[in-house]
Parts: sequence; structure tokens; C-alpha cells
Amino acid sequence: MGRGPANGRSVTLLPSRRVLDRLPAPTDALLMPERTLAALSVGEAATVREVGGDGTLAVRLLEMGFVPGTSVKLVKLAPLGDPMQFEVRGYHLSLRRAEAARIRVL
Amino acid sequence: MSREVKPIRVALAGNPNVGKTSLFNELTGSRHRVGNYAGVTVERREGDLADGLAASAKVTLLDLPGTYSLSPTSEDEALAYRVLTGEGEPAPDAVLLVVDATNLARNLYLALQLLELGRPLVVALNMVDDARALGLPSDAASLADALGVSVVATVARTGEGVSQLAAALAQAESAEHEPRLAAPGPDHVALCETLACLGGDSARARWLLTAGVAGTAAQFGATATELERLAAVDDAKARRACQELVATRYAEIEQMLVRLGSRRSDAGAPAMTRSQQIDRVLTHRALGLVIFAAVMSVVFVSIFTWAQPLMDAIEAGFGALSSSIGDALGPGMLTDLVTQGVIAGAGNVVVFVPQIALLFLFLGLLEDSGYMARAAFLMDRIMARLGLHGRAFIPLLSGYACAIPAILGTRTISSFKDRLVTILMIPYMSCSARLPIYSLVIGALFVTADEGASGDLERGGILLGMYALSTASALFVGWLYKRTILTSPTPPLVLELPPYRLPRVRNTLLIVYDRTADFVRNAGTVIVMLTIVLWGLLSFPRDQTGAGGEGPTRIAESWGGRAARTLEPALEPIGQDWRMGVGIIGSFAAREVLVGTLGLVYGMEADDDDPVELRRAIREDRDSATGKPRYTRLSGLALMVFFVYACQCMSTLSVVRRETRSWRWPAFMFVSMTALAYLAALVVYQGGRLLGYA
Repeated sequence: MGRGPANGRSVTLLPSRRVLDRLPAPTDALLMPERTLAALSVGEAATVREVGGDGTLAVRLLEMGFVPGTSVKLVKLAPLGDPMQFEVRGYHLSLRRAEAARIRVL
Repeated sequence: MSREVKPIRVALAGNPNVGKTSLFNELTGSRHRVGNYAGVTVERREGDLADGLAASAKVTLLDLPGTYSLSPTSEDEALAYRVLTGEGEPAPDAVLLVVDATNLARNLYLALQLLELGRPLVVALNMVDDARALGLPSDAASLADALGVSVVATVARTGEGVSQLAAALAQAESAEHEPRLAAPGPDHVALCETLACLGGDSARARWLLTAGVAGTAAQFGATATELERLAAVDDAKARRACQELVATRYAEIEQMLVRLGSRRSDAGAPAMTRSQQIDRVLTHRALGLVIFAAVMSVVFVSIFTWAQPLMDAIEAGFGALSSSIGDALGPGMLTDLVTQGVIAGAGNVVVFVPQIALLFLFLGLLEDSGYMARAAFLMDRIMARLGLHGRAFIPLLSGYACAIPAILGTRTISSFKDRLVTILMIPYMSCSARLPIYSLVIGALFVTADEGASGDLERGGILLGMYALSTASALFVGWLYKRTILTSPTPPLVLELPPYRLPRVRNTLLIVYDRTADFVRNAGTVIVMLTIVLWGLLSFPRDQTGAGGEGPTRIAESWGGRAARTLEPALEPIGQDWRMGVGIIGSFAAREVLVGTLGLVYGMEADDDDPVELRRAIREDRDSATGKPRYTRLSGLALMVFFVYACQCMSTLSVVRRETRSWRWPAFMFVSMTALAYLAALVVYQGGRLLGYA
């Protein structure tokens, strides 16, 4: 498992540098067809596309202002890495990564 | 009252953190009645308009729990929803909506929902001074134009606008208006089609759509026909329609804000600028946790130590009262009943008041200042591992001081199941009442002849071990209950981080008073009753020898003493004898009573403050048959472990009954914790013997 010992064998399993260079650059569209608020980096803003799923949480997120077209900014992460602090509609709201992942952005 | 006028009933609604309760206190002159909503322990505060605000009509205000919208996600919000929609109780004559002028963008959402309901509405544009200072649109008249209802600019902190608000409320009933539905945009096809399927656009159809997507339609009283219509709508389409509905309302709000003079420069969160600077320190990656630990230490240590002199004074006071009444009445059963039952019971209630008041004072100030939300933000990661909300952290921590205020403090947890899990965890936290027991046992049995630093280290280590055991056990039972008897998904965290504000001490003190009075009234009665029962157990049957003395014979011959002796075969395997059995029974009043009860058993004047004699008596007590010491380090350890787990506290049980509204949970708590305590003590004692310690 893992990277293998330092005998260099496992390295041959990886594509060579030249192959990697010829691949198209990883873009958001390619790596994350479903980009969500959970993927924002601190200070970054994005526009809400939709809130996924149903249930009280989906309705609550919508009603807290995460409707399509709304601009949301990730302000900071809690010291332990989660939850996240967002700025939306003039106020600050904290969501766990799991909740933020339900909000898809453009 | 000279004229019989039916008062106008006004429900006070609003988002959390908008100064709703401050305004309620201003309007009612801080005179209000506290009750509970039927069946739940959510506080229900009602009050009449203060005399100074002499309005032309009598107005009664009901302070509703804060709610962001009319789609409830918690017990509190469900109550607000039921009152506002007139479900279960008659709808209020009018609604007073308090909005935060510094954040209209979100606050007006609830306003639009209330306009849809068509109930008479008055809006208080609160914190208007902050909005002015930030240069945000804050003109009450323009907002009144936009909403079509009366709007009064207020500052609850200073009382600005309160009399105008009172006047507006007196005429609120006539402020009837047609239900106003924000019109869907031209591209909101799914919404229009779905509403048509649900019987045409109306507040009810909109509610049905939202509740359908939330999955709460049946729970909140949709009719069979409505559920049928709902079932006919495709799920994906309903979701899209719901999204469009909420978007429609927010679009309307944006238009209103533009008309009010909102500028593009207001983008971002102007009300949060200062708070964000404060947060740079208070929720800083490293510093944030350090400060949090410091804040918690202050809270914790103060409950532990500041309360102590007061508690001592209360105990001394009740002791003095008891002896003076005893002197006045002369010896006799009635005297004993009054002094050892009733007065001791009342003392057992009042003695908790300082701790409860202090904890609620701190909780109130932290909540009001906005730090409580940050505490949940900081701790949520850890609590989420257990399947709980970040808000459960502080009540749990308070359990180290005393389970009673900690259990009362769980009221901030919105899901009942999670609240129950937290309540069941709290008594495992080693409270301050266990400390006298640990110190008695450690002082009696873990003292070596060659007093030295290593002895201190060992004793400290044992004490720390007890705290570690209790903490680990609390976390474990929480994890276990969350996955077995009280399974529910980890509650989502959708937590507003409100702007920091200076807390209003008067508001907090009012809440401290309400909570403490509620404890004394409700849990207190049960505690007094149980104290009397316990007194009976340890004093009856009356001494037949006629000696009438205190001390070993009497307590040994009491029902409690007899029960302990009958139970002795069960106590032996955990390294105890009937004397400790009596102590354990007696300590049910409160754990620290063990010290006093053992004092009685050993026939000495019980003096809690100086148990040196008692320690020696325990240390030197020898089995008359074998001549070996009756108590060993191992039996002492088993006893301490027993007290880590045993729910030896009737006050805790009565508070749990009060908070869960049934005897079921306290009974479960008592049985499971006692069984666990016995098992753990058994494992320690028998395991220790197998390993050769004795």
C-alpha cells in the first residue's frame, strides 16, 4: 500500500513528467464538475447556482439567503478546520463543510 | 379595572439577535409572567404594556422564540410558527416584528412571510442608531411605504421610539391588511405551475410547497387533500419551485432596499466590519482557542469558587435556622421532621441558587455579546464527532461544577433528542460535590507514613484519574446513546455569527432571575419532598430502646440502615460494608452528605469542614473478626469509582424530570448509572484482588 519503499519501484507506476505535461491543465470544470461552497478558499467569493437536495436543511439554506445568483464569500475557517464562516446578504453565517457542500456555485 | 376591555394580544416575532427581548423588556417595563409552552420547556414570556406607556388600549405582549422564517427547524421555531399561524392556540390579534436595521437584507424575509399571512403587522426597525452610524438606509417612513404597514424606528438599548411603538400597537388591530404575496418573476415557471397544482397562489399554497420540500407538511397539519396535491407534484419540480419561491421573496427585498436608498457600497457586511476585527483575535487559529479556554476557565472556576462562600453562608444560615427552631420546639419527632426534613430540604434547594445564578449570568452575558455563537463555532468540530451541535459544549463543561445548572443550560440545544443526550451525559461529568468524597477517601486511605512529594503526586494522580474517567465516560455514553436509544443524524450547523454587541446587564439579570425562580419553584418542591423521604428512611422506625440519642445505634436500626445491612452481601464484592451502604443511601440527598452520614455512622459529631477525625476512624477501622483493616486502598478506589458513575443526586433527578417532563428519563438515568457504578466498582475491586492488590 501507499507510496512504497524508497527502492524506487513504485515510481514507475506513476505517469512520467512528460505525459503529465501533455495532459490538459486541470480546470475546475474537469476536476470539480460540481463546485460547491465547500471548495472555496478563504477570501474567495462565488455565486450560488443552486441548493442541492431537499429536507428542512435545503429549505433553511435557501431561506437564509443562498438563492441562485447570490454572492457568497468564505471569510474564514474555524481554528479546528471546520466549520466555515461565510458572508452572505450582509451578515455572517457558519456552516460545516458538509452543509456547505450542498450549495453548488457557478 | 373599570371597563372590561379585551386586551389586544400581540406576538413579538423576529430573527434571533435582533434585540427582541430588550424591546419586550422596555415595552413591558420588565414586568412579565414566565411560563412554559404546553408540553415543552421553552420559556413563554408574557407581559402587559407598561403603565408609563399609557396607550389607548390594553395590550398584552407575548415574546416568541427567535425565528428566521416560517419553516421551523427546531422546537423553539416550531412554537413561534404555531403561534403566528394560529395553530393549537388562537392566533394573536397582531404581530410585532422586530427587525435589525443593520441587516434588512435577511431580516425582511420574515417580514414578507408575515405579510403573506395577512395578519395585522407592526414593524419595529430596531438598532436604528447602529444603522445610521453605518450609513445604511434607516428611514422608517420609507420602509413603511415599501411594506404597507406601520414601521417605528427604535433603539431598545436607549428606549428610543418605544412610546411611539406602544401607540402603534394600541392601534395594531385596525392595521388589518390584505395578504400580500410577492409576485413571481416571469422566468419562475416551475413556481407558477406548481402553485397552480396546489390550488392557486396563496399563503397556504406557498407554505404547502415549502413544507412539502422540507418534508414537514404532515407534521405541521397539512390536510389529506393538500398532501394528495403535493404528492402529484414531481419532486425535482417542487424543489425548483421552492427555490424560485424563496428567490422571489429575496428579489422583492432587493427592490425594496434599492428604493430605501441602499447603495452598491453597502455590499459586503458593513455591520460586521468591527466584529470581523474582533474575530481576528477571538476566533484566531491559535489565540482563539487559548482565549476560549481562558473564558471557560473563568466561568468554571467562578462557579466552583465564587459560589462557595455564598453556598457556605446558605448552609450555615439553614443550619442556624434549623437549630434555633429545634431549640424552640424542643426534642421530638415533629422537630426532627421540620429541621432535618423540611428545612434541610429547603436548604438543599437554595444551596444551588448561587451556582445556577452565576452560570446563567455568564451564559446570558456570553449570549448577548455574541461570543456564545463563536464558542459553538470554535467547538463544533469536536462536538460533531459525537454527533452533537457545537452548542452542547458549554453545558457539558458546566457539568464539572454542578449538573443542575448545566442541565438547565441545555435549553439552548434545539433538537430534543440531542438535548436529551446532553442531559444524560452531564451527570457523568465529575461535579464539585464529588470532590469532598474523593478527598475523604484519598485522605483516609492513600496517606503513607513517610509523607513526601511522591505521596502528593500519587494523590494528585488519583484525583486527576477520577476526572479523566468521568470525562471519558461522559463522552462515551454520549456517543453510545446517540447511536442506540436516541439515534438522530448530527444536527446541521447553520449558525449566525451576529455582530459583537455590549451585553445588556439588566436583560441578563432578568433572565437569571426567571431561571433561578423557575428552578426553586419546580425542581425545588421535588427536592424538598425527597429530602423528607430520605430523612424518614434514616430516622424510622423511632428508637425503641428509648434512649432517643443520635448516633450509630439509631442510624443502624433505621430502615436505611437495615436496608444497607440486608444489602451487605452485595456491597462486599465491591469492597464495602454496611456502614458505607448507609453512607451511600444518605448521600443520595447530595453526594457530599456522605461525609456527614459516615460521621453519624461512626458516632461522631458530623463536621464537614474538618473530617480529620473521620479520616482516621476510617483508616483505623478494623474487622473485629480478623483484625485486618476494614477499608483498603483498593476498596477506597472502588468507592471513588462508584461515585464517579452513581447518580447519587436527587436534585439532578428532579431537574431532569422537570426538563424532560416525565419520570421516565430520570428513572433510566438513575438505574443505568447505578448499575454502571456497581459494575465498575466490582471490576476495580475484584480485578485489583486478582492482580494481588488488597
